[in-house]
Amino acid sequence: MNNEIPVQALGPQGEVMAHAVDACVHCGFCLPACPTYALLGDEMDSPRGRIVLMKEVLEGGLDLLDAAPHLDRCLGCQACVTACPSGVPYGELITSFRGWSEPQRQRSPLDRAKRYAILKALPAPKLFSVAARVGQYAKPLAPALPAALRGPLDLLPEHVPAMQPSPEVTPARGQRRGRVAFLTGCAQQALAPNFNAATLRVLARNGIEVVVPQGQGCCGAAALHTGARGEALRLVRANLDAFNPDDYDAILSNAAGCGAGLKEYPVILHGLHDEKKAKAFAAKVQDISEYLATLAREEGLEPFLPTSRPLKIAYHDACHLAHAQGVRAAPRELLRMIPGVSIVEIPEGDLCCGSAGTYNLEQPELAGQLGARKAGHILSTTPDLIASGNIGCHTQIQSHVRRQGSAVPVMHTVEVLDLAYRGEL
Amino acid sequence: MTVEKLALTTTSPARKPRSEGGGDNALAAELTRLLGPKKVLSNLSERLSYRFDAIQFGVTPLCVVLPESTEDVIATVKAARRAGVSIVGRGAASGLSGGAAPMQPAVVISFTRMTRLEIFPEQREAVAQPGVITLAVTEAARPHGLIYPPDPASFRTSTIGGNLGENAGGPLCFKYGVTGDYVNALDFVDAEGELHTLTRDAYDLAGLLIGSEGTLGLITEATLRLTPPPKFTRTLMAHFAEVGQAAEAVSAAIAAGAVPGKLEFMDGACTNAVEDYLHLGLPRDAGAVLLVDTDGDDLDTVEEERALVEAACLEAGGVVRRAADEAEAAALWQARRSVSPALGRIRPQRMNEDIVVPRSVLPEVVRQIRALGDASGFHLVQFGHIGDGNLHPNILFDPRTESAEAVHHLAHQIALVALRHGGVLSGEHGIGTMKRDFMRDAVDAETMTALHNVKRALDPSGALNPGKILPEEPHA
Repeated sequence: MNNEIPVQALGPQGEVMAHAVDACVHCGFCLPACPTYALLGDEMDSPRGRIVLMKEVLEGGLDLLDAAPHLDRCLGCQACVTACPSGVPYGELITSFRGWSEPQRQRSPLDRAKRYAILKALPAPKLFSVAARVGQYAKPLAPALPAALRGPLDLLPEHVPAMQPSPEVTPARGQRRGRVAFLTGCAQQALAPNFNAATLRVLARNGIEVVVPQGQGCCGAAALHTGARGEALRLVRANLDAFNPDDYDAILSNAAGCGAGLKEYPVILHGLHDEKKAKAFAAKVQDISEYLATLAREEGLEPFLPTSRPLKIAYHDACHLAHAQGVRAAPRELLRMIPGVSIVEIPEGDLCCGSAGTYNLEQPELAGQLGARKAGHILSTTPDLIASGNIGCHTQIQSHVRRQGSAVPVMHTVEVLDLAYRGEL
Repeated sequence: MTVEKLALTTTSPARKPRSEGGGDNALAAELTRLLGPKKVLSNLSERLSYRFDAIQFGVTPLCVVLPESTEDVIATVKAARRAGVSIVGRGAASGLSGGAAPMQPAVVISFTRMTRLEIFPEQREAVAQPGVITLAVTEAARPHGLIYPPDPASFRTSTIGGNLGENAGGPLCFKYGVTGDYVNALDFVDAEGELHTLTRDAYDLAGLLIGSEGTLGLITEATLRLTPPPKFTRTLMAHFAEVGQAAEAVSAAIAAGAVPGKLEFMDGACTNAVEDYLHLGLPRDAGAVLLVDTDGDDLDTVEEERALVEAACLEAGGVVRRAADEAEAAALWQARRSVSPALGRIRPQRMNEDIVVPRSVLPEVVRQIRALGDASGFHLVQFGHIGDGNLHPNILFDPRTESAEAVHHLAHQIALVALRHGGVLSGEHGIGTMKRDFMRDAVDAETMTALHNVKRALDPSGALNPGKILPEEPHA
């Protein structure tokens, strides 16, 4: 798209943004892929419209405040990236734009406090765990609370499990076939500690030694995607120091959002002195399902025990796995290796569930509509079990599926594999 | 400089609007009062995006209305008429001729929320509002054993209203016809705000509305004809060293009696642009690729027709590959559908031609266009519905470094090649603003007067989508 974005004045992130705007030919192929366009049906709430808005703001022809409501509604799901034949790196554009524009935003005190709380609590599992426990007790009060607080409470599980810190080294069982580093994630440790426990068991069972580098912290994705670029850079650099890519066959994440965040490090550091380091790091990052599926194809996995009865699994594509990382086949391949399992595809499968990082907290109404739509589609397949590879989707889908009166279990892909190894499926 | 040429240049003072609210906009206020706030967009941030279709120029509208019913459309047209403001209808705005982009401050009526769709299997009909996505009609009809054949490349995005406005075609149109062939009845709102219901008997006024690009009325509902899908389909891909050979193969295959369901081509630059996006293993070295479906209810005939096409391709010097299964065929067709936007990877902007020529002259025409492109120094590519003689030569350019005047000149030369060979200016994208200048070459003065008289009869004040299709009258 023609533009006069003053790249020189905006620096390296300006280059990233101008390149993305250049690439858009305005064809509209992204429109049907966009969840907010599906809900609202107007151009400003579509990827094509948002690109125009960002371009105009960057050029100085439109006030940021006027564009902000539409840009804030973007989930960052990147379904448009999958749909785009011109190769517009929309994810890089919106992320960079949020980083550039956030310091210029004036937010209300309540809004600021909420964002501060999210950005402080998310990367600190212990703090998050405490907050979740407090929230759990506040749940019965939800109907009396303002809408801004009801959203997060709705999402909390009935029972917040105890923390299970991951050991620094989990040795391989049997012959060692590989050595990986593992990012333990933040909120996930508090809300679903079993995801990590299952991941360590499945890897170890397949001869993989797992190291949890102690200096690691939050991947920075939540900070970055809400525009807190300074905070994000601090977190990113801490991780670059904690993980030495030369020491490992791969750096694994089992949360789609975190994995996508780690793979984005070179974009965040574009034009800065750690860019090379970030590239070497990102080249090693894989989702747990990618790593296991490659292992299965190249050397084979330990065989799974058959299920006790035929099991129909609805596999939900997390946006940050399918769209941002392009990982679709691997989780399905892994689940199909379990004797007795069949996979059903979910109608409108490419549409975001509405969780999308902090979206649930910032745009509760739209997030709720998308969650209900997703849960309805999933239940229409009458699955025995729902699997996905992201903690955000997990809590969102679980909450909406329960709300629609279904008790069908919702699990992480790797939990399913773990249960199959133990003959408990 | 004409509006069209101006539009192709990168900068003009008018492109830098300042932020402003809708408070001083009396028409927006009136429409908001009539329709409620949710259907009327008046802030600059809301209006900016509605100045474009897939060709990136136009004038920011005064306000945008998102009607939810025919009554909303009527109220909008009447209010705009009272205010003396022109009206531009719009679907998903994936059009490529500037048809949905306002060329003066106007009310844009965006039909994307008018999406009611009903299927009547016994009558083999669908009744659709203009905002229904094209693909949705087939999706809704398929459980009843029916499909809606018109399939423009943008069928996942484009709307029925937009298809009707441009009389869109698609790969299937060679055998099955274009949008206008599937319309049994239409409702439209005229320039006065009156609603009319048209069938195809007596004067075929519906036929006049179809392809009129919103310059004669605003279609608010269409009754569409559905058909059962063919029982069998076979897909074949052939590639050739040179683009003229592909055209020879097409002429020969059709002369031999083949009636393929789809017959499409793309040249080497298109193939490579798509390959960069989809990584399908398309032949990167080929000068042209043909994609052919033969289909029907009798498998022997379907196979026979494929054999005829195959023989013609081999005779013309091509290399033939049969799609092994449905998945491979689907991937090849996705490749073809992605050509147009994938070209954005080569240059950020393009002038998209849409000429149609008799099949007998195809080899000569594609070679002449190739030569024009080579001589111009521009990156010129060709693809299109070659079975219909509908070609899309595209001039790819970078407006920051290449001359818009020169692009326009080359486009004109290409249009003249088509006209010299007995062809026409538009197969499916419409004339819009992009080819409005060329209409004088294509249409004689008497016929042009007749066209202006038709426009005056239906839209006396010229309020509907001004600046499109017809050049200004010399004496006007």
